[in-house]
Amino acid sequence: MEFFKDIFTLLTRYNSFFVQGIGNTLIIAFFSVILGIVSGTLMATMRLSSVKPLRYLATAYIEFVRGTPLMVQLMFIFYGLPMTGITFPDVPFIPNFARFAAGIVAMSMNSCAYVAEIIRSGIQAVDPGQTEAARSLGFRKSQAMTMVVLPQAIKNILPALGNEFVTVIKESSIVSVIGIADLMFRTNDVIAVTYRSLQCLAIAAVIYFIMTFIGGRFIALLERRLSVGSK
Amino acid sequence: MEASNPNPGLLEVRNLTKDFGKIQVLKGITASFAKNEVVSIIGPSGGGKSTFLRCLNLLEMPTSGEIIFDGVNICDKKTDINLHRQKIGMVFQQFNLFNNMNVMKNLIAAPVKIKGMEKEEAKERAMKLLGKVGLADRADAYPHQLSGGQEQRVAIVRALMMEPEVMLFDEPTSALDPEMIGEVLDVMKSLAEDGMTMIVVTHEMRFAREVSGRTIFLCDGVIEEDKPSHALFDHPESPKLVSFLSKVL
Repeated sequence: MEFFKDIFTLLTRYNSFFVQGIGNTLIIAFFSVILGIVSGTLMATMRLSSVKPLRYLATAYIEFVRGTPLMVQLMFIFYGLPMTGITFPDVPFIPNFARFAAGIVAMSMNSCAYVAEIIRSGIQAVDPGQTEAARSLGFRKSQAMTMVVLPQAIKNILPALGNEFVTVIKESSIVSVIGIADLMFRTNDVIAVTYRSLQCLAIAAVIYFIMTFIGGRFIALLERRLSVGSK
Repeated sequence: MEASNPNPGLLEVRNLTKDFGKIQVLKGITASFAKNEVVSIIGPSGGGKSTFLRCLNLLEMPTSGEIIFDGVNICDKKTDINLHRQKIGMVFQQFNLFNNMNVMKNLIAAPVKIKGMEKEEAKERAMKLLGKVGLADRADAYPHQLSGGQEQRVAIVRALMMEPEVMLFDEPTSALDPEMIGEVLDVMKSLAEDGMTMIVVTHEMRFAREVSGRTIFLCDGVIEEDKPSHALFDHPESPKLVSFLSKVL
């Protein structure tokens, strides 16, 4: 009982900490997901391209990013790049822009590789006979892709993409190491002040869960919408 | 062993070869197909029948040789293959109906989007053809709601919607349950009677013998025999054909 009372007290007294943390986590996750999808789609297109250098470049990028820790990538971009002269500028009226930019760039470059693989495998899972049939009727390659392959691939892609969203929300907690005041960072603040680690971490866990759960439901809804007329 | 053909060829194949890596699947095929002709291609599995057929509309790019269709060498890089594919209908072993579209959309997609046919006109034509193959009531069904035989009949109609000059059939009945083979063969038979030019890769020896005027025996990438069907079946000459027929008949 004492435990829940503590949690209640923490939530009432430090709610502004948690709210700010949630806000920043959502900002990071939102932009990372959007940029991750856009760049991941481009990367998948390169990966499936018939132009060899593009294909190799994309494959190398995907393999490298998936084979190194996000922590290393994040620190490389925030601490490493400035040493080569590449810095994120400070923008007036947006506090901490450089940190946020580094966090979002690192997260979305990481997500890009995973999204690219999700899209590639989703497209390649569609029976090649579908493309052949379209081509045999005289459709161009691009028409076959947009009319026949992509509408079927999207059903393979969406569930995995939903997983990726959830992963991005959770993994975004890593940006606290470069000093972005996200939920994890603010939770640590409250722990530092109150010494109530267990209670604070429980609060953070539940908040993360609520965010990922809502995100997951949203994707499931989309899936059902798109499953009309398929097996 | 080439059958002399008095008609000018609609489709002429000269010295066609196709390599997959180090394996040569087609070793110099020369054949000619006249307008209104129905030709069956038979032979053992792995002998290059399907590869040959798929070369005819460049689903497989030939390694060397020429394919002259309507007087144009379609292997030439400058030829717009999409234009020629519109005139070459193809029916696949696995039907390959577009799974994301219902029957009607499968049928009108190509004529409307490629030929610019009016949607209403395309629908009317589709209903007429569906009626002919006995599927007028299934226009709204999705492919997974149809039986294999129904899917294949729709696939034939889809190819016909483009009003092709020649129809290629790649083992159209091989993926069907035995009781459904008849309904597909009937459709093909009536197509043949309507004068459609057809090239059929098949394991249905009765179809080859009774419906097609000419049969080609393709084995190990080479045309072993190419003769009027009754002659080929009644008086096989090459030992390979004799042995093949003894196994399948």
